[in-house]
Amino acid sequence: MKSKYFVIAVGLVLALLLGSFAATAQDFAEIAPGVARHETLILENPEGRIADPDRFNRWAPGGGASTGLQQLALDALWFVDPNAGIDGEPWNNALAAEGPIYNEDFTQMTVNLREGIFWSDGVPFTAADVVFTVETLRANPGMSYHNQLALLVDEVYATDDYTVVFDLTRSNSRFHAMFTVRWAAMFIMPKHIWEVVDDPLAFDFNPPVSLGPYVLKDFDPTGHWFLWERREDWERTSLGMQYGMPAPKYALYTAPGPADQRVMAQANQNLDVIHDLSPEGVQAVISRNPTSRGWFEGFPWAHPDPTLPAVIINHEVEPLGDNEVRWALQLAIDIAGVSMASYSGAATVSALHAPPTGMYKEWYFDPMEDWLLNYTIELAGEQYQPYNPDATLAIANMVRPSLGDQVPTDEAEIKKALGYGWWNYDTDMAEKILLDKGFTRNRQGNWLLPDGTPWTIDILCMGASNPTMTRVATMIAEQWTRFGVPSEAVVSDQLWNRMNYGDFETAIAWSIETWGGHHDFFFFLESWHSDFWRTSGELASGTNRMRWQHPELDRIIDEIRGIDFDDPRGFELGMDFLKLAVEETPLIPLMSYNVFAVTDWYFWEGFPTSDNPYANPVANWSNTRFMFPMLRPTGRQ
Amino acid sequence: MKNAFLRYIILRVLQCLMVIFVGITVTFMIPRFTPVDPVEQAITRMTMFQQSTHPEALEEMRASLATLYGLEGSVFEQYLGFWGRLFRGDLGPSLSSFPRPVMTLIRTSLPWTAGLLLTSTIIAWSLGNIIGAFAGYFHHKKWSQVLGVMALVVWPIPYYIFAFLLLVLLAYVIPIFPLSGAFAIGSSPGLNWNFISSVLRHGFLPALSIVAIGFGGQFLGMRSLVSNVISEDYILYAEIAGVPNHRILKNYVIRNALLPQITGLALQLGMIFNGAMITEFVFSYPGIGYLAYTAIFSGDFGLIMGIAIFSIVAVALAVLIIDLLYPVFDPRVKLR
Repeated sequence: MKSKYFVIAVGLVLALLLGSFAATAQDFAEIAPGVARHETLILENPEGRIADPDRFNRWAPGGGASTGLQQLALDALWFVDPNAGIDGEPWNNALAAEGPIYNEDFTQMTVNLREGIFWSDGVPFTAADVVFTVETLRANPGMSYHNQLALLVDEVYATDDYTVVFDLTRSNSRFHAMFTVRWAAMFIMPKHIWEVVDDPLAFDFNPPVSLGPYVLKDFDPTGHWFLWERREDWERTSLGMQYGMPAPKYALYTAPGPADQRVMAQANQNLDVIHDLSPEGVQAVISRNPTSRGWFEGFPWAHPDPTLPAVIINHEVEPLGDNEVRWALQLAIDIAGVSMASYSGAATVSALHAPPTGMYKEWYFDPMEDWLLNYTIELAGEQYQPYNPDATLAIANMVRPSLGDQVPTDEAEIKKALGYGWWNYDTDMAEKILLDKGFTRNRQGNWLLPDGTPWTIDILCMGASNPTMTRVATMIAEQWTRFGVPSEAVVSDQLWNRMNYGDFETAIAWSIETWGGHHDFFFFLESWHSDFWRTSGELASGTNRMRWQHPELDRIIDEIRGIDFDDPRGFELGMDFLKLAVEETPLIPLMSYNVFAVTDWYFWEGFPTSDNPYANPVANWSNTRFMFPMLRPTGRQ
Repeated sequence: MKNAFLRYIILRVLQCLMVIFVGITVTFMIPRFTPVDPVEQAITRMTMFQQSTHPEALEEMRASLATLYGLEGSVFEQYLGFWGRLFRGDLGPSLSSFPRPVMTLIRTSLPWTAGLLLTSTIIAWSLGNIIGAFAGYFHHKKWSQVLGVMALVVWPIPYYIFAFLLLVLLAYVIPIFPLSGAFAIGSSPGLNWNFISSVLRHGFLPALSIVAIGFGGQFLGMRSLVSNVISEDYILYAEIAGVPNHRILKNYVIRNALLPQITGLALQLGMIFNGAMITEFVFSYPGIGYLAYTAIFSGDFGLIMGIAIFSIVAVALAVLIIDLLYPVFDPRVKLR
């Protein structure tokens, strides 16, 4: 009798399990009831699981940004694509009908808005929304941009339904940057929703009323996925109006888990856009899935973001305040070794203090190549030419035995993929510099400071949260130790805070981020002006974590501040900055921040690539929206 | 006798309250002595992708965030305020998901962790102990030796490797289980078969990984305990007296060997509130472990404390309950 009950119980459990597994069959046809897989673009949200997924208030802390919210539902006045942009125009007037209009002394900015745009609930978008957004953020501490708006905006008002005027408290030729998306920017709120909200900081904005071409269809209350559906009136949005209907009917932003799961998900055609992987991960997914590809079709695969990982040097720590000492450390780095250790050779290296990405090769790197070839600096009393134009050819030769045909052979192609040259690996000259400065070696061959104390260097790095940069730190520590400066890669979860407060000697991180699709360097340079300079122990107010000061730098920044954003003089001033930075080595530039975004061309084609660089494919960037109208279904189901 | 029992209970309850008080106080203090400053973390997050922030604006931002996060005043003042809120059942706002209350975040994650760990822990414990007891008692049998070898092979495998192997095998090579998540997209949470079957399917692999590894440990522990018990005189006496094997096993062997295992189970159940960080990572399963991980890295004092408080109270209560129930399981334990 007992055994009979046992058999029945086992039978029930099995039936339950089989019943639940039967759902497997629908997986590839539909991702959810009524949501066809072939009509859906599935993208990775690199933020992972969102703890408070029902929060869509992008103007205050909390919630997720890369859940599709800032890509598909929010909109801003302007966008700058870090690549070439659609039709070769990286600047995009989104909600604005044209670029910002300043008065002569840059104390007033006027914005003319695009007409015919509607919120997803049918209410027209007008100047009142822009004014309301600025006033709400300015009035509420804790909200994004609150303090900057309070400091910079005297008054904001609409002169008609489609014109907004900002009266500024001081001259500011780059005020519009706050409203211009690089990765994100100040998105515009729907006044008719927010004006009845008591506490804008606490308001969740759920469901979000959309200004973009998609609306939220569903989301996971545990924060793993967000499903968006194309608006029926998509043509009444800035994207639809300019570029036509976004092809995917649905977009699913999902947190697929660690790298191995991302590879498996794409190999099973369940993830169309992987945000980032290691170079080894890219090789793994490409070898398993013939329809996967990176930004470059072969090696080095990655999309170079307009960010410049570098050796950030604290100038207030002796002897690092001495420019020739920084030069010695730069010459003691073998960039080929760093590239191989970090990106398995797939780095895009840069000798200049600008990321070698997007339009920058054409705007800065090409024009400056001759200058670099002829560049001579006096080091240790000698005239010395430090530039090695063939550095990346050597890297290509190093990876060719393992990757064969995938590595380009044409010199121009190599330089396009791996960057131009870098600085000589010349420990003899580095030694001469140090000897000239009064340094000596001890019996073990390690360097002693001029006062006789041993010289060691700590290199802060991010550890497991950024393995690639950690490998950079480890390799440089090894190279400097070999040169005689015992160095250690020190993992710190507080790397950014420590750099912000000057609590470091050197670090592998970045202080230079550019628009990529615009030549203006003011985006990061503003805070390098001596007006912004703060000593170690005080919070750096921008990206000058090196604590570098130079009168010529102030001159360049002041002059950029005084000219228009699009003034061609900006190119010359940009080059002035790059030349000064080469001379003074405020930090040691290494490479662009290469993101190994991998797209699957099984269900969709037309993703941006190095051959067709119309947008950034890296899924957490707001301007990946430009991908959506350019995609085409392959017809596979 | 009655007075002694009452004194025993009062003493144990006081001990439990003291453990909770000290535990919560330490939990409050530790994050404040780490180099992680939630205000700086928030500023870094808010300015990470922006253009330069003016120095004056930055100073104002710091001050306003400190006010919003309730981090003004001395540590002692914050400590008093914290206890005041705690007695009202308010764990304060999460700093990384500000202004969402910590209780809300925990309430969302806890059912998933509890559901997964409670089920898998009890299954692993029951299977491991029952089979371990049989294997220990019938240690000369072939099947017992085979099971012993299997447990010895599985148990030492690092959990994350075992879990990952399961994932690769059953979600990628033979894709019958999903790679990640807790339920399918589009299934509406509630008491409906679609949702329940989806939860079962998504939870199967994480549960299997915990059960398999947990089973090995319980099996080996129980088998070893039983091996000791069966060499006791009273077992020998029972065998000589002709008591049937199943009665010896049930009434004398398992009952005696089970005592330390019960304590272990109580502690394991208390620890459920810590979550299963690696399981949640490998299987992208929502739960307290992942929440705790993100809280630590973002300097979210409120959330770290909230999760730790749940865990401290749960473990302390589990120990208290076991202390109080022990005389029931083991009549040899006398109250003094």
